[in-house]
Amino acid sequence: MSPIDREAHLNRWRGKPLAEKLTLTLGMLLLTMVLKPWPGAALVAVVMTAAALFGARVSPKLWLACAAAPLGFLAVGAVSVAFRVDLHGVGLAPGGLAAAGALAARSGAGVACLLFLALTTPASDMLAGARKIGVPTEITELALLMYRFLFILADAALAMDAAQAARLGHATKARRLRSLGLLAANLLPRALDRARRLELGLAARGWHGDMRVLSDRLGPTARGMALVASVLGATALFGVLA
Amino acid sequence: MHIMEGFLPVGHAAGWFAASAPFVVAGGVSLRRILRERPEARLNLAASGAFAFVLSALKMPSVTGSCSHPTGVGLGAVVFGPAVMAVLGTIVLLFQALLLAHGGLTTLGANVFSMAIVGPWASYAVWKALRGLGAPIALAVFFAAALGDLSTYATTAVQLALAYPDAETGYAGALVKFGGIFAVTQLPLAIAEGLLTVVVMNALSGRAGHADEIAVLAGEAR
Repeated sequence: MSPIDREAHLNRWRGKPLAEKLTLTLGMLLLTMVLKPWPGAALVAVVMTAAALFGARVSPKLWLACAAAPLGFLAVGAVSVAFRVDLHGVGLAPGGLAAAGALAARSGAGVACLLFLALTTPASDMLAGARKIGVPTEITELALLMYRFLFILADAALAMDAAQAARLGHATKARRLRSLGLLAANLLPRALDRARRLELGLAARGWHGDMRVLSDRLGPTARGMALVASVLGATALFGVLA
Repeated sequence: MHIMEGFLPVGHAAGWFAASAPFVVAGGVSLRRILRERPEARLNLAASGAFAFVLSALKMPSVTGSCSHPTGVGLGAVVFGPAVMAVLGTIVLLFQALLLAHGGLTTLGANVFSMAIVGPWASYAVWKALRGLGAPIALAVFFAAALGDLSTYATTAVQLALAYPDAETGYAGALVKFGGIFAVTQLPLAIAEGLLTVVVMNALSGRAGHADEIAVLAGEAR
């Protein structure tokens, strides 16, 4: 269903402490926003891409596939910043190219940070971390249950979609829309039915709305945090001085 | 339309987080109350949230030939009510960023504001108003979904225009630019989503044993 989730579970840095990966990502995101786009944000993009591809050994093909959609959005956004529209028509905005370039550097760096986190850390790890820093249990518990349901429902949806395609359900646009409507309408009762069965099973085991699981993840090490801090510091220093 | 990671300047990103926070917290408080009274509602809500995510990962045909995905904003607002949608929408948007690389972490506040707050409230208002005027259910559902969609995109266009005003014509010029680009692609999508939501609601209400289940769910979620 989600190749990103599979990679997050299988990459080389899967076992690295969450705090280290999260500090690196959020620190770099902050640097992207406060440093000058050139060379600060560009450097962040290089460092984070290298961390994902060489450090965590994420598949470059998957990385590119994930980056494609956001970069499409960026292309549209950058074009609208570079050009201006007035009563005389469309023209190049004054300073538009520079603004578009700065925007591209910032957003590119942001995407590199997001992809690093998404491709090295499973969402379930992050939710466990969220509970530790004091996000209400009701919310994290709901999110964890949702994460659990995602893959089951996605499998069902893909099977329904394939069945519809095999029966010419995608032949015309009108049929496609109808097929999608039927799929959604069949999926929702199934989802609720599954929820009810799961709830019955849990209630039979004395569930009170709190699922406690043992985590084998290690806490952050002094060495790892020092390494992260030095990478962040070096990037910030370079961005300020250059 | 999700705003991508890193697209908004730091002040705007923080500002939209601040704007969204009260709605999400209020939704969280009402969610907590529901869950304390009925812990079993948790599984229904989780299944519905997962359903919204899966729906958003499917492709929807559009009139212009471009393909996009349904947002589920209208459906969710009509069935669950807008208050709970703020929390469910936030979790769904977070998963979209982490599992599909769609949207972003720094732009989460802005995306929550357009997709989990403005869209659902607009859908809900249209739904209530049309039903109050005695419009047929199908018509009310269509306009609730289509206008909820459009208000989401309009909000995104405003957010982008505020962040990147035109050098000469200012905010208004930027709004025309971003709005123009969105109108071409999103107007047909809004109509397609409206039609889709009608098909879904028709099929749902056609399942006799399950129609009341939806009503029960909607009741407990509000």
